Amino acid sequence: MKFFNLLKKELGELLTAQTIISLVLVTGMLMLMGNLMKSTIEDAVENEYTISICDRDQTDFTKQLIKTLREAGATVDEYESEGDDYPAILRDADVESLVILPKGFTEALEKDERPEMISVGVMKSSAAMSNIANSNSGAIALIEDCISSTFAAKAGLTAEQVDLLQLPVNVNEQTVVKDKSAPVSTTSVMSSIMTKNMILPIIVFILIMFTSNMLMSAISNEKIDKTLETLLSAPVSRTAILGAKMLAAAIIALLNAVVYMFGFSSFMNGATKSVSDEMGSKLVGQYISVDEALDRLGLTLGIGDYILIGAQLFLTIMICLSISLMLGALVNDTKQSQTMIMPLMIMAMVPYLISIMSDINTLPMAIRLVVYAIPFTHTFSAVNNIMFGNMGLFFAGLAYQLVVFAICLFFALRLFNSDKILTASLNFGQKSKFKKSTADNE
Amino acid sequence: MEKVLEVRELSKQYTKVLAADKVSFDIEKGEIFALIGPNGAGKTTTIRMISTLLTPTAGDAVIAGHSIIKEPAKVRECITYLPDEAGAYKNMTGKNYLRFMAGLFSTDIDTINRYVERAERICGLGERLKDKIGTYSRGMIRKLLLARAVMTEPKLAILDEPTSGLDVLNAIEIRKMIKRLAAEEGMSFLLSSHNMLEIEFVSDRVGIISKGHLLVSGKADELKERYSAANLEEVFERVVKGNEIL
Repeated sequence: MKFFNLLKKELGELLTAQTIISLVLVTGMLMLMGNLMKSTIEDAVENEYTISICDRDQTDFTKQLIKTLREAGATVDEYESEGDDYPAILRDADVESLVILPKGFTEALEKDERPEMISVGVMKSSAAMSNIANSNSGAIALIEDCISSTFAAKAGLTAEQVDLLQLPVNVNEQTVVKDKSAPVSTTSVMSSIMTKNMILPIIVFILIMFTSNMLMSAISNEKIDKTLETLLSAPVSRTAILGAKMLAAAIIALLNAVVYMFGFSSFMNGATKSVSDEMGSKLVGQYISVDEALDRLGLTLGIGDYILIGAQLFLTIMICLSISLMLGALVNDTKQSQTMIMPLMIMAMVPYLISIMSDINTLPMAIRLVVYAIPFTHTFSAVNNIMFGNMGLFFAGLAYQLVVFAICLFFALRLFNSDKILTASLNFGQKSKFKKSTADNE
Repeated sequence: MEKVLEVRELSKQYTKVLAADKVSFDIEKGEIFALIGPNGAGKTTTIRMISTLLTPTAGDAVIAGHSIIKEPAKVRECITYLPDEAGAYKNMTGKNYLRFMAGLFSTDIDTINRYVERAERICGLGERLKDKIGTYSRGMIRKLLLARAVMTEPKLAILDEPTSGLDVLNAIEIRKMIKRLAAEEGMSFLLSSHNMLEIEFVSDRVGIISKGHLLVSGKADELKERYSAANLEEVFERVVKGNEIL
């Protein structure tokens, strides 16, 4: 009963209107961004088959070329232009990309020379997604195909021979994972896994930062406001006070995890679905779908796997909370609590970046040991280990995290059950606000 | 008279400082005892040891028959502690704060309600109790915390600098409240203050503490007479200087 009273109070302290508003805003923003990216990509895909062309050569061949492009299913808009003032040309045509067939294009072809074609595209910003719609790559590929066919026809090749020339070998790609194989390219498996697994490390990273900061501020505020002294002198065990704080923070962390997971899923779905659909159909084509391939390779996660990942994530959060609890108890003011989060931030940042950039198992032994000593590394590599059947490594990581948690909890409990909870502080040469006020009052 | 608190040679050694050295005194039922001394004298350390927040290096204190060393949990059921310059949870309303604190002292709903009603009556904040504590003035917070400290009818209420940072009117009101609770309800108080004139008005007995030593204790009038002083400040000055000479 007293524990629930404490838990209710801790939840009330952590779940303020600001927290809820920021959660709703973040989710809303992520969903909005997802939709935005989805529409950008859809525009780009649509644009791939819309060609803006300017035929300055005006020969039978170029006219036939444009006709062929139309027959191939592209929407071709023709424009007229002169000179090389490309900004003005694009402005007059009111387009963002334009292909110009210059004078002498056909003549060069007739002389068996490589003709020149001008491709103009607007660049609006350096953002990765902002220039997708301005590319002429689809148009150029189609024109190149047409010209290759013309050359081939001139050389007396049949349509089948042209096709053979363009795709001389049928590559039957097989990917092997442990003792399973599937007819799919490793590239498409990789890109599909990366797309699907992109969310978890981001969520883990945000959660580590968020929960640490939350609990550290909660403890340091209680210490600075001296509400902690009042609590500790009340007839309730210190372990209950500590337990209520940790459980409340864990509940809020879980709530955040669910909300962020939802927000990020909508964002990633919007951002990647159309791309991966495109990629999947092109790369795998006649064989099997990527999802089917993943299933056949044993790279899909079952309910049991998700439970294991969840257990590891929970342990990570608990380690985080017990460390934050100790750091929070050493803090003298709110400003300091923001700097005290640094050690945790580095502990989360290093394995996060490494997990994005490379496989930890391929690092040199010394570095690998250092990285594995960071408890959060095992969370970032959990999905990979489960997916590729490195269960030994996964459970070793889980056991290590359990040991780290037990040690952290032991010290947190000792700190809470000793005088140190009131007297300990890290000063870095500055006199503790808490100790100062204590000394003043003695 | 029934003794509520018996402090026996209580000492606290920090790494470099001996903050309290064999401090001994008693408090009887319905008595207001004040520890007076300058900043850094050892008042807060002594109070924190009695409140079971710090573990003594030596000595013991017995509150309503329970030792602070052997039965700290039992001690916490008999006392309430109001730290100096304490705050309260800013996001809670005054009433919810009282209810939360009452819930730490009892699990019985009726008792909790009785505690909260009592605190509401004592603090005199009326409708403002429905507002968040973040909107309260310093005086209002102090009144709320004081009401919280006495609502559970503790055997001993320990108040560290109960009127620090308050204006004259609020301070007078709080002093009167303490005197009334001791006289009418037989509640015992252990106060600390460096404002000796205030202590002279509010307390039955005082203990003068300096550099961790309890130098002398007794009724204010007796001490004034013993040291031929006009007020407690003069008593304090003479006691401290006398001990320095010794």
